[in-house]
Amino acid sequence: MPAERGVTDIAASDIVETVPSALIVLDRNLNITSANRAFYQTFRTSRAETEGCLIYDLGNRQWDIPALRTLLESVIPHRASVEGFEVEHVFPTIGRRTMLVNARKIFRPGDHDGYILLAIEDVSEERAARAESKRNWQLTQSIVDTIRDPLVVIEHDMTIVTASKAFLTMFGTTLAEAVGRKFSELGQHQWDVPALRHLMDKVLPENKPIESFEIEDNFPGLGRRVFNLNARKIFQSGNQVTRMLLVFEDITDRKQRERDAETLTNEVSHRIKNNLQIIIGLIAFESRSQAKPSVEGYRAMQGRIGAIAQLYDLISQTSRGDTVAVDDYLTEIARTMAASLLGEKSGIRIDVKAGPLKIDPDRAVPFGLLINELATNAVKHAFPRGKGRVLISVDQVGPEIELTVADDGVGMMDKTQAKTPEKRGADYVAIFVRQLGGAIVPVAAHGTGTTIRIRFPSLLVPQAGPEPLAA
Amino acid sequence: MSVILIVEDDAFIRQIGEVMIQDCGHQTLSAGSVCEALAILRSSQPLDALFTDIYLESAMHGGCDLAIQARSLRPGLPVIYTSGNTLTEKMKSLFLGDAWFLPKPYTQTQLKNSVEGLLAA
Repeated sequence: MPAERGVTDIAASDIVETVPSALIVLDRNLNITSANRAFYQTFRTSRAETEGCLIYDLGNRQWDIPALRTLLESVIPHRASVEGFEVEHVFPTIGRRTMLVNARKIFRPGDHDGYILLAIEDVSEERAARAESKRNWQLTQSIVDTIRDPLVVIEHDMTIVTASKAFLTMFGTTLAEAVGRKFSELGQHQWDVPALRHLMDKVLPENKPIESFEIEDNFPGLGRRVFNLNARKIFQSGNQVTRMLLVFEDITDRKQRERDAETLTNEVSHRIKNNLQIIIGLIAFESRSQAKPSVEGYRAMQGRIGAIAQLYDLISQTSRGDTVAVDDYLTEIARTMAASLLGEKSGIRIDVKAGPLKIDPDRAVPFGLLINELATNAVKHAFPRGKGRVLISVDQVGPEIELTVADDGVGMMDKTQAKTPEKRGADYVAIFVRQLGGAIVPVAAHGTGTTIRIRFPSLLVPQAGPEPLAA
Repeated sequence: MSVILIVEDDAFIRQIGEVMIQDCGHQTLSAGSVCEALAILRSSQPLDALFTDIYLESAMHGGCDLAIQARSLRPGLPVIYTSGNTLTEKMKSLFLGDAWFLPKPYTQTQLKNSVEGLLAA
Protein backbone atom coordinates (compact mmCIF):
# COMPACT_ATOMS: atom_id res chain seq x y z
CA MET A 1 0.00 0.00 0.00
CA PRO A 2 1.74 3.17 -1.13
CA ALA A 3 2.43 5.74 1.60
CA GLU A 4 -0.02 8.56 1.55
CA ARG A 5 1.47 11.72 0.26
CA GLY A 6 1.79 14.27 3.01
CA VAL A 7 0.10 17.66 2.76
CA THR A 8 3.50 19.27 2.33
CA ASP A 9 4.39 17.01 -0.63
CA ILE A 10 1.11 17.70 -2.41
CA ALA A 11 1.40 21.45 -1.95
CA ALA A 12 5.01 21.54 -3.14
CA SER A 13 4.36 19.63 -6.34
CA ASP A 14 1.34 21.77 -7.10
CA ILE A 15 3.44 24.86 -6.61
CA VAL A 16 6.26 23.54 -8.76
CA GLU A 17 3.89 22.73 -11.63
CA THR A 18 2.16 26.09 -11.38
CA VAL A 19 5.11 28.50 -11.31
CA PRO A 20 5.98 29.97 -14.70
CA SER A 21 9.71 29.61 -14.21
CA ALA A 22 11.40 26.47 -15.50
CA LEU A 23 12.53 24.29 -12.55
CA ILE A 24 14.81 21.26 -12.53
CA VAL A 25 16.25 19.25 -9.66
CA LEU A 26 19.72 17.70 -9.95
CA ASP A 27 21.24 15.06 -7.73
CA ARG A 28 24.79 15.22 -6.46
CA ASN A 29 25.98 13.74 -9.73
CA LEU A 30 24.15 16.44 -11.71
CA ASN A 31 21.60 14.01 -13.10
CA ILE A 32 18.15 15.43 -13.54
CA THR A 33 15.79 13.84 -11.06
CA SER A 34 12.76 15.94 -11.99
CA ALA A 35 11.63 18.99 -13.94
CA ASN A 36 8.41 20.95 -14.12
CA ARG A 37 6.02 21.57 -16.97
CA ALA A 38 7.42 25.04 -17.59
CA PHE A 39 10.88 23.54 -18.22
CA TYR A 40 9.54 21.05 -20.73
CA GLN A 41 7.59 23.77 -22.55
CA THR A 42 10.34 26.38 -22.58
CA PHE A 43 13.07 24.07 -23.81
CA ARG A 44 10.81 21.87 -25.93
CA THR A 45 11.67 18.62 -24.29
CA SER A 46 9.82 15.91 -22.33
CA ARG A 47 10.00 13.97 -19.11
CA ALA A 48 11.19 10.88 -20.92
CA GLU A 49 14.08 12.80 -22.49
CA THR A 50 14.93 14.60 -19.27
CA GLU A 51 14.64 12.56 -16.05
CA GLY A 52 17.67 10.52 -15.19
CA CYS A 53 19.77 12.32 -17.77
CA LEU A 54 23.04 14.09 -16.96
CA ILE A 55 22.24 17.71 -17.41
CA TYR A 56 25.08 18.24 -19.85
CA ASP A 57 23.78 15.39 -22.01
CA LEU A 58 20.27 16.80 -22.20
CA GLY A 59 19.02 17.52 -25.71
CA ASN A 60 22.14 16.52 -27.67
CA ARG A 61 24.42 18.20 -25.16
CA GLN A 62 22.87 21.60 -25.73
CA TRP A 63 23.15 22.15 -21.98
CA ASP A 64 26.85 21.57 -21.97
CA ILE A 65 27.41 25.25 -21.44
CA PRO A 66 30.70 26.45 -19.94
CA ALA A 67 28.94 29.03 -17.78
CA LEU A 68 26.56 26.39 -16.44
CA ARG A 69 29.47 24.09 -15.67
CA THR A 70 31.10 26.91 -13.75
CA LEU A 71 27.92 27.43 -11.76
CA LEU A 72 27.31 23.78 -10.94
CA GLU A 73 30.88 22.65 -10.38
CA SER A 74 32.68 25.68 -9.03
CA VAL A 75 30.13 27.97 -7.43
CA ILE A 76 27.41 25.79 -5.96
CA PRO A 77 29.75 23.44 -4.07
CA HIS A 78 30.84 26.40 -1.97
CA ARG A 79 27.59 28.26 -1.60
CA ALA A 80 24.10 27.38 -0.46
CA SER A 81 22.46 29.43 -3.16
CA VAL A 82 23.18 31.61 -6.17
CA GLU A 83 20.86 34.32 -7.49
CA GLY A 84 20.67 35.81 -10.95
CA PHE A 85 23.44 33.83 -12.68
CA GLU A 86 23.24 34.80 -16.33
CA VAL A 87 23.76 32.21 -19.03
CA GLU A 88 23.62 33.01 -22.72
CA HIS A 89 23.59 30.21 -25.23
CA VAL A 90 22.39 29.22 -28.68
CA PHE A 91 20.06 26.26 -28.29
CA PRO A 92 19.61 24.20 -31.44
CA THR A 93 15.88 23.90 -30.82
CA ILE A 94 15.02 27.40 -29.67
CA GLY A 95 17.85 29.59 -30.84
CA ARG A 96 19.84 32.15 -28.84
CA ARG A 97 18.54 32.52 -25.32
CA THR A 98 19.58 34.50 -22.27
CA MET A 99 18.69 32.75 -19.04
CA LEU A 100 18.77 33.92 -15.49
CA VAL A 101 19.53 30.98 -13.21
CA ASN A 102 18.86 30.80 -9.51
CA ALA A 103 20.38 27.76 -7.83
CA ARG A 104 19.82 26.42 -4.34
CA LYS A 105 20.96 23.34 -2.48
CA ILE A 106 18.07 21.45 -0.95
CA PHE A 107 18.23 18.66 1.61
CA ARG A 108 15.60 16.12 2.63
CA PRO A 109 15.58 14.81 6.20
CA GLY A 110 18.20 12.08 6.52
CA ASP A 111 19.71 12.98 3.16
CA HIS A 112 23.38 13.93 3.41
CA ASP A 113 24.22 14.72 -0.20
CA GLY A 114 21.32 16.90 -1.06
CA TYR A 115 20.01 18.09 -4.38
CA ILE A 116 20.37 21.22 -6.48
CA LEU A 117 17.24 23.11 -7.41
CA LEU A 118 17.66 25.26 -10.50
CA ALA A 119 15.10 27.91 -11.38
CA ILE A 120 15.67 29.07 -14.94
CA GLU A 121 14.03 32.23 -16.22
CA ASP A 122 14.18 32.99 -19.90
CA VAL A 123 14.95 36.72 -20.06
CA SER A 124 15.84 36.67 -23.75
CA GLU A 125 13.05 39.02 -24.83
CA GLU A 126 13.70 41.45 -22.03
CA ARG A 127 17.41 41.54 -22.84
CA ALA A 128 16.69 41.97 -26.54
CA ALA A 129 14.29 44.80 -25.81
CA ARG A 130 16.87 46.45 -23.57
CA ALA A 131 19.55 46.13 -26.25
CA GLU A 132 17.16 47.49 -28.89
CA SER A 133 16.25 50.36 -26.62
CA LYS A 134 19.92 51.12 -26.09
CA ARG A 135 20.57 51.04 -29.82
CA ASN A 136 17.58 53.32 -30.43
CA TRP A 137 18.78 55.69 -27.76
CA GLN A 138 22.24 55.81 -29.26
CA LEU A 139 20.74 56.44 -32.67
CA THR A 140 18.51 59.18 -31.25
CA GLN A 141 21.42 60.77 -29.45
CA SER A 142 23.44 60.71 -32.66
CA ILE A 143 20.60 62.39 -34.52
CA VAL A 144 20.16 64.93 -31.74
CA ASP A 145 23.86 65.71 -31.79
CA THR A 146 23.80 66.45 -35.52
CA ILE A 147 21.06 69.06 -35.08
CA ARG A 148 22.67 72.45 -35.13
CA ASP A 149 20.15 74.10 -32.83
CA PRO A 150 20.54 73.55 -29.09
CA LEU A 151 18.04 70.94 -28.02
CA VAL A 152 17.14 69.50 -24.64
CA VAL A 153 14.72 66.84 -23.44
CA ILE A 154 13.27 67.33 -19.98
CA GLU A 155 11.02 65.39 -17.65
CA HIS A 156 7.72 66.79 -16.44
CA ASP A 157 9.50 68.13 -13.35
CA MET A 158 12.00 69.95 -15.61
CA THR A 159 14.95 67.68 -14.87
CA ILE A 160 17.12 67.13 -17.91
CA VAL A 161 17.04 63.75 -19.63
CA THR A 162 19.46 64.51 -22.41
CA ALA A 163 20.73 67.43 -24.44
CA SER A 164 22.41 67.94 -27.78
CA LYS A 165 26.08 68.85 -28.10
CA ALA A 166 25.03 72.25 -29.36
CA PHE A 167 23.06 72.87 -26.16
CA LEU A 168 25.92 71.71 -23.92
CA THR A 169 28.44 73.79 -25.83
CA MET A 170 26.27 76.87 -25.73
CA PHE A 171 25.73 76.69 -22.01
CA GLY A 172 29.26 75.53 -21.22
CA THR A 173 28.25 72.36 -19.43
CA THR A 174 28.62 68.64 -19.95
CA LEU A 175 25.99 65.95 -20.31
CA ALA A 176 27.07 64.45 -17.00
CA GLU A 177 26.61 67.81 -15.28
CA ALA A 178 23.30 68.53 -16.95
CA VAL A 179 21.45 65.19 -16.75
CA GLY A 180 19.24 64.94 -13.72
CA ARG A 181 19.45 68.65 -12.92
CA LYS A 182 16.45 70.85 -13.08
CA PHE A 183 16.24 72.98 -16.15
CA SER A 184 15.99 76.10 -14.08
CA GLU A 185 19.25 75.27 -12.24
CA LEU A 186 21.40 75.35 -15.37
CA GLY A 187 24.00 78.01 -15.78
CA GLN A 188 23.46 80.05 -12.63
CA HIS A 189 19.69 79.90 -12.87
CA GLN A 190 19.35 82.12 -15.92
CA TRP A 191 16.59 79.85 -17.20
CA ASP A 192 14.62 80.27 -13.99
CA VAL A 193 12.39 82.82 -15.68
CA PRO A 194 8.85 83.17 -14.34
CA ALA A 195 7.37 83.54 -17.80
CA LEU A 196 9.04 80.33 -18.98
CA ARG A 197 7.97 78.42 -15.87
CA HIS A 198 4.42 79.58 -16.37
CA LEU A 199 4.43 78.36 -19.98
CA MET A 200 5.90 75.04 -18.91
CA ASP A 201 3.07 74.63 -16.41
CA LYS A 202 0.56 75.35 -19.16
CA VAL A 203 2.03 73.01 -21.75
CA LEU A 204 1.84 69.84 -19.70
CA PRO A 205 -1.75 70.10 -18.56
CA GLU A 206 -3.09 71.58 -21.79
CA ASN A 207 -1.17 69.40 -24.21
CA LYS A 208 -0.35 72.37 -26.45
CA PRO A 209 3.08 72.98 -27.92
CA ILE A 210 4.92 76.25 -27.32
CA GLU A 211 5.66 78.04 -30.55
CA SER A 212 8.11 80.91 -30.90
CA PHE A 213 8.40 81.98 -27.30
CA GLU A 214 11.07 84.67 -27.08
CA ILE A 215 13.33 84.96 -24.11
CA GLU A 216 15.97 87.63 -23.66
CA ASP A 217 18.49 87.74 -20.84
CA ASN A 218 22.16 87.96 -19.97
CA PHE A 219 23.61 84.45 -20.19
CA PRO A 220 26.92 83.54 -18.51
CA GLY A 221 29.63 83.29 -21.10
CA LEU A 222 27.28 84.37 -23.89
CA GLY A 223 26.29 87.87 -22.98
CA ARG A 224 22.91 89.28 -23.78
CA ARG A 225 21.10 86.92 -26.14
CA VAL A 226 17.62 86.50 -27.53
CA PHE A 227 16.32 82.97 -28.03
CA ASN A 228 13.24 81.67 -29.76
CA LEU A 229 11.95 78.56 -27.99
CA ASN A 230 9.78 75.83 -29.42
CA ALA A 231 8.58 73.09 -27.10
CA ARG A 232 6.35 70.10 -27.42
CA LYS A 233 5.51 66.98 -25.43
CA ILE A 234 6.95 63.68 -26.51
CA PHE A 235 5.43 60.37 -25.56
CA GLN A 236 7.28 57.10 -25.21
CA SER A 237 5.23 54.18 -26.45
CA GLY A 238 4.80 51.33 -24.07
CA ASN A 239 4.79 53.43 -20.93
CA GLN A 240 3.21 56.54 -19.55
CA VAL A 241 6.35 58.67 -19.61
CA THR A 242 5.73 62.19 -20.81
CA ARG A 243 8.73 64.31 -21.59
CA MET A 244 9.23 67.60 -23.31
CA LEU A 245 11.48 68.53 -26.16
CA LEU A 246 12.76 72.10 -26.29
CA VAL A 247 14.58 73.56 -29.26
CA PHE A 248 16.35 76.88 -28.98
CA GLU A 249 17.01 79.20 -31.86
CA ASP A 250 19.47 82.01 -31.27
CA ILE A 251 17.83 85.01 -32.92
CA THR A 252 20.01 87.65 -31.32
CA ASP A 253 21.55 88.78 -34.59
CA ARG A 254 18.19 88.93 -36.35
CA LYS A 255 16.67 90.90 -33.48
CA GLN A 256 19.57 93.29 -33.52
CA ARG A 257 19.15 93.81 -37.27
CA GLU A 258 15.43 94.49 -36.77
CA ARG A 259 16.17 96.97 -34.01
CA ASP A 260 18.89 98.63 -36.07
CA ALA A 261 16.52 98.89 -39.03
CA GLU A 262 13.84 100.39 -36.81
CA THR A 263 16.34 102.84 -35.35
CA LEU A 264 17.54 103.78 -38.82
CA THR A 265 13.98 104.24 -40.04
CA ASN A 266 13.21 106.46 -37.08
CA GLU A 267 16.35 108.50 -37.65
CA VAL A 268 15.61 108.94 -41.35
CA SER A 269 12.03 109.89 -40.58
CA HIS A 270 13.24 112.35 -37.96
CA ARG A 271 15.70 113.95 -40.40
CA ILE A 272 13.14 114.14 -43.19
CA LYS A 273 10.62 115.84 -40.99
CA ASN A 274 13.19 118.27 -39.65
CA ASN A 275 14.07 119.12 -43.25
CA LEU A 276 10.41 119.61 -44.10
CA GLN A 277 10.17 121.87 -41.06
CA ILE A 278 13.05 123.92 -42.50
CA ILE A 279 11.22 124.20 -45.84
CA ILE A 280 8.09 125.37 -44.09
CA GLY A 281 10.23 127.82 -42.15
CA LEU A 282 11.74 129.23 -45.34
CA ILE A 283 8.27 129.73 -46.76
CA ALA A 284 7.20 131.35 -43.49
CA PHE A 285 10.16 133.77 -43.76
CA GLU A 286 9.34 134.48 -47.39
CA SER A 287 5.70 135.12 -46.67
CA ARG A 288 6.61 137.82 -44.12
CA SER A 289 8.02 140.01 -46.87
CA GLN A 290 5.41 139.38 -49.54
CA ALA A 291 2.27 141.30 -50.46
CA LYS A 292 -0.83 140.02 -48.74
CA PRO A 293 -2.35 138.14 -51.71
CA SER A 294 0.83 136.04 -51.94
CA VAL A 295 0.83 135.36 -48.24
CA GLU A 296 -2.26 133.15 -48.47
CA GLY A 297 -0.59 131.14 -51.19
CA TYR A 298 2.49 130.63 -49.06
CA ARG A 299 0.32 129.63 -46.14
CA ALA A 300 -1.50 127.13 -48.28
CA MET A 301 1.88 125.74 -49.40
CA GLN A 302 2.92 125.31 -45.78
CA GLY A 303 -0.28 123.36 -45.23
CA ARG A 304 0.42 121.04 -48.13
CA ILE A 305 3.98 120.34 -47.03
CA GLY A 306 2.71 119.61 -43.56
CA ALA A 307 0.05 117.33 -45.05
CA ILE A 308 2.72 115.28 -46.86
CA ALA A 309 4.53 114.54 -43.61
CA GLN A 310 1.31 113.63 -41.85
CA LEU A 311 0.24 111.37 -44.68
CA TYR A 312 3.49 109.39 -44.43
CA ASP A 313 2.79 108.90 -40.74
CA LEU A 314 -0.76 107.82 -41.46
CA ILE A 315 0.39 105.43 -44.17
CA SER A 316 2.79 103.74 -41.81
CA GLN A 317 0.05 103.50 -39.17
CA THR A 318 -2.62 102.12 -41.46
CA SER A 319 -0.64 100.02 -43.89
CA ARG A 320 -1.14 96.26 -43.71
CA GLY A 321 1.75 94.74 -45.55
CA ASP A 322 1.60 95.90 -49.17
CA THR A 323 -1.67 97.81 -48.95
CA VAL A 324 -3.18 100.76 -47.14
CA ALA A 325 -6.57 100.35 -45.49
CA VAL A 326 -8.77 103.14 -46.90
CA ASP A 327 -11.22 103.30 -43.99
CA ASP A 328 -8.47 103.76 -41.37
CA TYR A 329 -6.53 106.13 -43.63
CA LEU A 330 -9.50 108.41 -44.21
CA THR A 331 -10.44 108.38 -40.55
CA GLU A 332 -6.95 109.53 -39.59
CA ILE A 333 -6.91 112.20 -42.32
CA ALA A 334 -10.23 113.55 -41.07
CA ARG A 335 -9.04 113.52 -37.48
CA THR A 336 -5.80 115.31 -38.34
CA MET A 337 -7.59 117.90 -40.44
CA ALA A 338 -10.11 118.55 -37.69
CA ALA A 339 -7.27 118.99 -35.19
CA SER A 340 -5.41 121.50 -37.38
CA LEU A 341 -8.30 123.38 -39.02
CA LEU A 342 -11.09 123.26 -36.47
CA GLY A 343 -11.10 124.21 -32.85
CA GLU A 344 -12.77 122.07 -30.22
CA LYS A 345 -15.80 124.34 -30.26
CA SER A 346 -16.08 124.44 -34.04
CA GLY A 347 -19.53 123.91 -35.49
CA ILE A 348 -18.05 122.21 -38.53
CA ARG A 349 -17.77 118.39 -38.67
CA ILE A 350 -15.67 116.24 -40.96
CA ASP A 351 -17.18 112.74 -41.29
CA VAL A 352 -15.94 109.67 -43.12
CA LYS A 353 -17.77 106.82 -44.79
CA ALA A 354 -15.65 104.08 -46.35
CA GLY A 355 -15.72 100.34 -46.70
CA PRO A 356 -12.84 97.95 -46.06
CA LEU A 357 -11.07 98.80 -49.30
CA LYS A 358 -7.33 98.68 -49.81
CA ILE A 359 -5.17 100.93 -51.98
CA ASP A 360 -1.65 100.85 -53.29
CA PRO A 361 0.71 102.62 -50.81
CA ASP A 362 2.49 104.37 -53.71
CA ARG A 363 -0.75 106.18 -54.54
CA ALA A 364 -1.81 106.82 -50.98
CA VAL A 365 0.03 110.17 -50.67
CA PRO A 366 -1.49 111.90 -53.74
CA PHE A 367 -4.85 110.34 -52.79
CA GLY A 368 -4.51 111.78 -49.30
CA LEU A 369 -3.40 115.17 -50.64
CA LEU A 370 -6.44 115.27 -52.92
CA ILE A 371 -8.80 114.55 -50.03
CA ASN A 372 -6.93 117.11 -47.92
CA GLU A 373 -7.32 119.72 -50.67
CA LEU A 374 -11.05 119.08 -51.24
CA ALA A 375 -11.95 118.95 -47.56
CA THR A 376 -9.83 122.02 -46.72
CA ASN A 377 -11.56 123.97 -49.49
CA ALA A 378 -14.93 122.96 -48.10
CA VAL A 379 -14.01 123.89 -44.53
CA LYS A 380 -12.62 127.28 -45.58
CA HIS A 381 -15.30 128.37 -48.03
CA ALA A 382 -18.54 126.48 -47.52
CA PHE A 383 -19.49 127.60 -44.02
CA PRO A 384 -19.47 131.39 -43.56
CA ARG A 385 -21.53 130.91 -40.42
CA GLY A 386 -19.06 128.39 -39.05
CA LYS A 387 -21.51 125.50 -38.98
CA GLY A 388 -21.90 122.53 -41.29
CA ARG A 389 -20.75 119.09 -42.28
CA VAL A 390 -18.20 117.75 -44.71
CA LEU A 391 -18.60 114.10 -45.66
CA ILE A 392 -15.69 112.22 -47.23
CA SER A 393 -16.80 108.89 -48.67
CA VAL A 394 -15.12 106.21 -50.73
CA ASP A 395 -17.03 103.41 -52.45
CA GLN A 396 -16.16 100.67 -54.87
CA VAL A 397 -18.01 100.93 -58.18
CA GLY A 398 -17.15 97.87 -60.23
CA PRO A 399 -13.38 97.82 -60.66
CA GLU A 400 -13.05 101.50 -59.83
CA ILE A 401 -13.23 103.43 -56.62
CA GLU A 402 -15.24 106.58 -56.27
CA LEU A 403 -14.26 109.42 -53.95
CA THR A 404 -16.96 111.87 -52.95
CA VAL A 405 -16.40 114.99 -50.85
CA ALA A 406 -19.70 116.70 -50.13
CA ASP A 407 -20.65 119.56 -47.88
CA ASP A 408 -23.96 121.11 -46.87
CA GLY A 409 -22.64 124.65 -47.09
CA VAL A 410 -23.32 127.63 -49.30
CA GLY A 411 -22.33 126.01 -52.60
CA MET A 412 -19.76 126.95 -55.26
CA MET A 413 -19.30 130.64 -56.11
CA ASP A 414 -19.62 132.19 -59.60
CA LYS A 415 -17.14 130.62 -61.98
CA THR A 416 -16.50 133.92 -63.73
CA GLN A 417 -14.74 135.35 -60.69
CA ALA A 418 -11.01 135.78 -61.12
CA LYS A 419 -8.96 133.12 -59.48
CA THR A 420 -7.72 134.10 -56.09
CA PRO A 421 -4.97 132.19 -54.37
CA GLU A 422 -7.66 130.20 -52.54
CA LYS A 423 -9.19 129.20 -55.86
CA ARG A 424 -5.84 127.84 -57.00
CA GLY A 425 -6.65 124.98 -54.68
CA ALA A 426 -8.92 123.72 -57.45
CA ASP A 427 -5.89 123.57 -59.75
CA TYR A 428 -4.20 121.31 -57.25
CA VAL A 429 -7.28 119.07 -57.28
CA ALA A 430 -6.96 118.73 -61.05
CA ILE A 431 -3.23 117.96 -60.69
CA PHE A 432 -3.81 115.18 -58.15
CA VAL A 433 -6.76 113.73 -60.12
CA ARG A 434 -4.60 113.60 -63.24
CA GLN A 435 -1.72 112.10 -61.26
CA LEU A 436 -4.00 109.29 -60.11
CA GLY A 437 -5.51 108.68 -63.52
CA GLY A 438 -8.97 109.69 -62.34
CA ALA A 439 -11.82 111.69 -63.76
CA ILE A 440 -14.24 114.11 -62.16
CA VAL A 441 -17.83 112.86 -62.43
CA PRO A 442 -20.47 115.49 -63.00
CA VAL A 443 -22.96 115.69 -60.14
CA ALA A 444 -26.40 117.20 -60.53
CA ALA A 445 -27.00 120.16 -58.28
CA HIS A 446 -29.23 119.39 -55.31
CA GLY A 447 -30.09 122.37 -53.22
CA THR A 448 -27.29 123.88 -51.18
CA GLY A 449 -23.86 122.49 -50.70
CA THR A 450 -21.18 121.21 -53.01
CA THR A 451 -20.41 117.66 -54.06
CA ILE A 452 -17.21 116.70 -55.84
CA ARG A 453 -17.12 113.12 -57.15
CA ILE A 454 -14.09 111.52 -58.72
CA ARG A 455 -13.61 108.00 -60.10
CA PHE A 456 -10.27 106.23 -60.14
CA PRO A 457 -9.45 103.08 -62.03
CA SER A 458 -6.77 100.73 -60.68
CA LEU A 459 -6.36 102.55 -57.39
CA LEU A 460 -7.12 99.42 -55.46
CA VAL A 461 -4.76 96.62 -54.40
CA PRO A 462 -1.74 96.47 -56.74
CA GLN A 463 -2.13 94.62 -60.05
CA ALA A 464 -0.65 91.12 -60.29
CA GLY A 465 3.00 90.92 -61.39
CA PRO A 466 4.19 89.76 -64.83
CA GLU A 467 3.22 86.25 -65.96
CA PRO A 468 5.83 83.59 -65.07
CA LEU A 469 7.97 82.33 -67.90
CA ALA A 470 6.71 79.22 -69.59
CA ALA A 471 8.51 76.08 -68.48
CA MET B 1 1.15 138.80 -24.78
CA SER B 2 2.82 135.68 -23.36
CA VAL B 3 6.44 134.59 -23.00
CA ILE B 4 7.18 131.22 -24.60
CA LEU B 5 10.41 129.29 -24.01
CA ILE B 6 11.43 127.40 -27.15
CA VAL B 7 13.86 124.51 -26.73
CA GLU B 8 15.25 123.07 -29.97
CA ASP B 9 18.78 121.86 -30.70
CA ASP B 10 18.59 122.71 -34.44
CA ALA B 11 19.46 126.39 -34.63
CA PHE B 12 17.50 127.17 -37.79
CA ILE B 13 14.35 125.38 -36.68
CA ARG B 14 14.67 127.12 -33.32
CA GLN B 15 14.86 130.48 -35.07
CA ILE B 16 11.90 129.60 -37.31
CA GLY B 17 9.87 128.69 -34.26
CA GLU B 18 10.72 131.99 -32.58
CA VAL B 19 9.72 133.97 -35.67
CA MET B 20 6.45 132.05 -36.04
CA ILE B 21 5.50 132.62 -32.41
CA GLN B 22 6.58 136.25 -32.46
CA ASP B 23 4.41 136.78 -35.56
CA CYS B 24 1.50 135.57 -33.44
CA GLY B 25 2.15 138.41 -31.04
CA HIS B 26 4.04 136.61 -28.30
CA GLN B 27 7.51 137.06 -26.85
CA THR B 28 10.04 134.26 -26.99
CA LEU B 29 13.11 132.95 -25.18
CA SER B 30 15.11 130.14 -26.68
CA ALA B 31 17.53 127.40 -25.65
CA GLY B 32 19.50 124.87 -27.69
CA SER B 33 19.93 122.30 -24.95
CA VAL B 34 18.48 121.00 -21.71
CA CYS B 35 21.18 122.82 -19.73
CA GLU B 36 20.45 126.17 -21.37
CA ALA B 37 16.72 125.66 -20.82
CA LEU B 38 17.17 124.79 -17.15
CA ALA B 39 19.26 127.91 -16.64
CA ILE B 40 16.35 130.00 -17.93
CA LEU B 41 13.79 128.01 -15.93
CA ARG B 42 15.80 128.51 -12.74
CA SER B 43 16.07 132.25 -13.30
CA SER B 44 13.46 134.77 -12.33
CA GLN B 45 12.52 135.30 -15.98
CA PRO B 46 8.72 135.19 -16.34
CA LEU B 47 7.50 132.34 -18.54
CA ASP B 48 4.02 131.38 -19.69
CA ALA B 49 4.68 128.17 -21.61
CA LEU B 50 7.39 125.71 -22.67
CA PHE B 51 7.62 124.51 -26.29
CA THR B 52 10.23 121.77 -26.48
CA ASP B 53 11.52 119.26 -29.00
CA ILE B 54 11.63 115.75 -27.58
CA TYR B 55 14.90 114.59 -29.17
CA LEU B 56 17.57 116.95 -27.86
CA GLU B 57 21.30 116.56 -28.52
CA SER B 58 21.26 112.72 -28.80
CA ALA B 59 19.00 112.37 -25.74
CA MET B 60 16.10 110.50 -27.28
CA HIS B 61 13.61 111.75 -24.70
CA GLY B 62 15.54 114.81 -23.48
CA GLY B 63 12.53 117.05 -23.95
CA CYS B 64 10.38 114.77 -21.79
CA ASP B 65 12.92 114.88 -18.97
CA LEU B 66 13.19 118.65 -19.36
CA ALA B 67 9.43 119.10 -19.11
CA ILE B 68 9.31 117.16 -15.85
CA GLN B 69 12.09 119.29 -14.39
CA ALA B 70 10.46 122.46 -15.73
CA ARG B 71 7.20 121.58 -14.02
CA SER B 72 8.97 121.08 -10.71
CA LEU B 73 10.70 124.47 -11.11
CA ARG B 74 7.64 126.25 -12.47
CA PRO B 75 4.53 124.47 -11.16
CA GLY B 76 1.68 124.48 -13.62
CA LEU B 77 3.81 125.63 -16.57
CA PRO B 78 1.95 124.69 -19.79
CA VAL B 79 4.00 122.43 -22.07
CA ILE B 80 3.89 121.62 -25.79
CA TYR B 81 6.10 118.80 -27.05
CA THR B 82 7.19 118.48 -30.66
CA SER B 83 9.07 115.82 -32.57
CA GLY B 84 9.98 114.62 -36.04
CA ASN B 85 9.61 111.04 -34.82
CA THR B 86 6.30 109.26 -34.88
CA LEU B 87 4.60 109.46 -31.52
CA THR B 88 5.14 106.17 -29.68
CA GLU B 89 3.60 104.69 -26.57
CA LYS B 90 6.96 105.04 -24.85
CA MET B 91 6.99 108.78 -25.58
CA LYS B 92 3.40 109.17 -24.43
CA SER B 93 4.19 107.43 -21.18
CA LEU B 94 6.81 110.13 -20.45
CA PHE B 95 4.50 113.07 -21.20
CA LEU B 96 3.03 115.31 -18.55
CA GLY B 97 -0.67 114.54 -18.33
CA ASP B 98 -1.95 117.92 -19.49
CA ALA B 99 0.71 118.63 -22.10
CA TRP B 100 0.06 118.98 -25.83
CA PHE B 101 1.93 117.41 -28.75
CA LEU B 102 2.56 119.10 -32.10
CA PRO B 103 4.22 116.84 -34.68
CA LYS B 104 6.84 118.19 -37.07
CA PRO B 105 6.65 119.67 -39.58
CA TYR B 106 4.12 122.16 -38.24
CA THR B 107 2.86 125.17 -40.10
CA GLN B 108 2.68 128.61 -38.58
CA THR B 109 -1.09 128.25 -38.24
CA GLN B 110 -0.74 124.94 -36.44
CA LEU B 111 1.85 126.36 -34.06
CA LYS B 112 -0.30 129.39 -33.41
CA ASN B 113 -3.37 127.24 -32.73
CA SER B 114 -1.39 125.02 -30.38
CA VAL B 115 0.21 127.83 -28.39
CA GLU B 116 -2.96 129.84 -28.06
CA GLY B 117 -5.08 126.78 -27.41
CA LEU B 118 -2.72 125.68 -24.64
CA LEU B 119 -2.57 129.12 -23.06
CA ALA B 120 -6.34 129.38 -23.11
CA ALA B 121 -6.84 125.92 -21.59
